[in-house]
Amino acid sequence: MAHSNWAEWIYLGVVTALLVYVGAEAWNVERIIDHAPEDAEIIKVTAQQWLWTFEHEDGTKEVGELHLKKDHAYKFELTSKDVIHNFNIPEYVVLLDAVPGRVNTVWFSPNEVGEFDIQCREYCGLIHYNMRALLIVEDV
Amino acid sequence: MSKIFQLSIIIVTLCIIPTISLVFAAETAGEYIDRKAEIWNLFFRMMTIAFVVGGVIAGTMVWQVWRFRESNPKSKPTPYEEKGEL
Amino acid sequence: MVLELARPRPIWQVMFSTHHTDVGLMYLIFSLLAMFVGGAMAIALRVELFAPGAQLIQDSMTFNRLFTAHGTTMIFLFLLPSASAVGNYLVPIMVRYKDMAYPKLNAIAFWMIPPAAALVWLGMADFGWYANPPYSVISAPAPAAEMWIFGLKMLGVSSILSSINFVVTIMKCKHPDMSLGKVPLLGWSFLSSSIIVLAAMPTFAAALLMLLTDRLGASGFFNPAVGGDPIAYSHLFWFTFHPEVYVLVIPAIGMMYEIIPRFSRRPIFSHSSGVAAFIILSIVAFASWAHHMFATGMSFTEKTVFMVGTLAAVPASAMHVFNFLATMWNGRIKFATPMMWAVGGIALFFAAGAGGVVNTAMPLDFITHDSYWVVGHFHLFVFGTIAFGTIGFVYYLFPYITGRMYNEKWGVVHFILAFVGACITFFTQHILGLFGMPRRIYDYPEIPEWVSMNALISVGAMIILVGMVIFLANLIYSSAKGKPANLEDPFGLGGKYYYPFSQRNPHHGDGGY
Repeated sequence: MAHSNWAEWIYLGVVTALLVYVGAEAWNVERIIDHAPEDAEIIKVTAQQWLWTFEHEDGTKEVGELHLKKDHAYKFELTSKDVIHNFNIPEYVVLLDAVPGRVNTVWFSPNEVGEFDIQCREYCGLIHYNMRALLIVEDV
Repeated sequence: MSKIFQLSIIIVTLCIIPTISLVFAAETAGEYIDRKAEIWNLFFRMMTIAFVVGGVIAGTMVWQVWRFRESNPKSKPTPYEEKGEL
Repeated sequence: MVLELARPRPIWQVMFSTHHTDVGLMYLIFSLLAMFVGGAMAIALRVELFAPGAQLIQDSMTFNRLFTAHGTTMIFLFLLPSASAVGNYLVPIMVRYKDMAYPKLNAIAFWMIPPAAALVWLGMADFGWYANPPYSVISAPAPAAEMWIFGLKMLGVSSILSSINFVVTIMKCKHPDMSLGKVPLLGWSFLSSSIIVLAAMPTFAAALLMLLTDRLGASGFFNPAVGGDPIAYSHLFWFTFHPEVYVLVIPAIGMMYEIIPRFSRRPIFSHSSGVAAFIILSIVAFASWAHHMFATGMSFTEKTVFMVGTLAAVPASAMHVFNFLATMWNGRIKFATPMMWAVGGIALFFAAGAGGVVNTAMPLDFITHDSYWVVGHFHLFVFGTIAFGTIGFVYYLFPYITGRMYNEKWGVVHFILAFVGACITFFTQHILGLFGMPRRIYDYPEIPEWVSMNALISVGAMIILVGMVIFLANLIYSSAKGKPANLEDPFGLGGKYYYPFSQRNPHHGDGGY
């Protein structure tokens, strides 16, 4: 069958150009958010079935609740005691797996005062659906 | 041929991968950025593209379905039908 | 020849037959059965999630078991066998050979599936279809987990056997006059998906064995308590199951390549670009597995590599969409039920692909990972694209299999309900994911947006349910009482079909079809 394929080539060119743009933009944003500021306070987060434990730099521990200061950078060091969990603060788009035997890091800086949900996003068993904690951002 | 292939693998491992990781690991301490705003902005930029492209494709499909359905008064047998080449 | 109902035979003759159409028929019946079983599980899940608190299911363990069985059933017991069914019916005819290359192996591959299904359904494991360690090693209750592992092992072997059969049939048994380039695109789709299975499945087979020995305490590959690494399992698993996505979608695209030109009354726009796109897809399928694992703490470099690998699969998929639309262009399209399913499938295929691009853009994974967005995204693929293509093809084959026509009006009603239901259910799931609802949860707090969207999703699922009940009734009623079909041209399109009945089934005896 006789047909010319110029339309398909143009179409493929447009698709590829869009994909290159998408990839470049995504790469750039990831680069921007990847590195924590130097003065970020480290918070050790330990996940276990089915609760969250937080340890501040000064050694104070919290279970099921996390108190942070507004406009201050925090770097979470995540690990798990038993199975894989996923530390997620949907409001601040913070999300990373807590894997036993590993320490994963993610950082953010809360810029609004209030109470926010912390939840587990990786299936971890019986009470996965209710493995929640509360993030309380306070003004200083 | 397989020699060239092996050689190229070695070159890739020795040169290109360290270069890539050097470039990527430009380890400067980050600045305070609004993570939420950066990510959601990217998301909405992507959604703009997706909906524009989706609109074009869905529009094309709806028009095709309307125009080339056999019950459309303008529809006529395809050349392949007439020649019995289907 | 395939007029199974017009020429009734004792059931054991079909069951112990090795003829490709008999095996195809068993694959088809079994996969549809599995679809209704898996669908019933989905409905139970949606009823439970209709509102916060316990509705239908009283404890989270039952819920967890149900979503595991739902996923396993739909992927391994519905989609894979239904593709094999179509392949069994049509591939030997398309390459002009009398049967599959190894008929007995073919029957064995099918008969491994029912026992595996029994293991999965009786065991009801609770770790999700992904069985991620260390949960599946240290926490998942026995013997359900072991039964699941053995079931999946058998299903893996079965799909490897049937893939060997397809590859040999197409490469070695095709008619000498027919070059590989001339094999119809449906045949090409089975060739490429079978090659992906052969390359990908052994990895998962190994991972399953390692998982089993871990559970038995004999090893600690994935158990960090004894020095293992659970992320290794993720790599092995997704190295098999990202390509597996293409194993499922490529035959569905092949089915659309059979339906769309037929009902547009034009030949396919470009056979060679379809072949090229299949080949490209089956290669880049292996370049993107770790995009499922962005959240496990991968480095920036790794993420970039897999993002690029994932984006590389998009142009090939776009070539298929272009080919479909260009084929319909200037056609005279008859919108019988199969064509509606194919066109609806293309529309949802685009939506699913666009969602996939968003998932792989690295920072956006922080929004979408393991949320309902992902659930909506892959259901647009597996239901919106793959099941749409498959169901359309079931309607297309129906007259050949039964010698009778299905009821066209109810077929159209089924399509409209399924399409509307799919849009309501799966697009709403995307938005629900943006509001942060995790997947695989039995209950959720009373966040107003979550409550209203979950209710809407459940309503959408009910609409699909009504469509599927109509489908079942239509299949049963029409195969017994439907109008006899004109087998020269059941859809009134003119032209030559790949008539499955052009092949003789020895069991029908002399003078049979």
